[in-house]
Amino acid sequence: MKSIIEAIACKGLPARDIKNANIVNLWALAWAVSLGLISFLSKYQWYSPGFPTILAFTVQTGIGIGMLLAYIRLLKNLDEMERKIQLDALALSVGVTVVAFASYSILDKSGIVPDLKSSSLIAFMALTYMAGIVFGRIRYR
Amino acid sequence: MRNRLKVQRAERDWTQADLAAALEVSRQTINAIEKEKFDPSLPLAFKTVRLFELSIEDIFKDNAK
Repeated sequence: MKSIIEAIACKGLPARDIKNANIVNLWALAWAVSLGLISFLSKYQWYSPGFPTILAFTVQTGIGIGMLLAYIRLLKNLDEMERKIQLDALALSVGVTVVAFASYSILDKSGIVPDLKSSSLIAFMALTYMAGIVFGRIRYR
Repeated sequence: MRNRLKVQRAERDWTQADLAAALEVSRQTINAIEKEKFDPSLPLAFKTVRLFELSIEDIFKDNAK
């Protein structure tokens, strides 16, 4: 349990890497909040098609690009073992998500399970990525 | 790949944190290399032996040998 907590808390990482990781986390939080807010406003039709939609699209995409650039900077500054942990976690996340959702789509088409939602896909990818990070940090302890 | 990093470090009375700072990696990376859970890249291996003023074979050994 202690090793899992230490893995989540990035214990022992250089201050520069923790700072870069926190910047990525802030971008990710801003991205998630803006996505939720735009989805909420869209659901209740609080903004009309046209300029507000273009503005929402631009803001959401801009924050997303900011998040990606912050993550690239984090990756570039990490040492080689931490970078390997990150890339392994990304590979696990993409692989597991593709396999899981391909299988899910079979059940979806036969009507056994509810429709696939993009939010579920994002949440599933995020969870498998975090699990990959924790697994990697424990593996190399 | 086997290595004698821990022995060489101990001979110089360096901590893992000292070595990590000198090599610009995290302390976890030094720990993982010493425990032979992670093999360093060639640039990091050369940087390490330069720091110790030794040759590659003095610290790193191929498992096949």
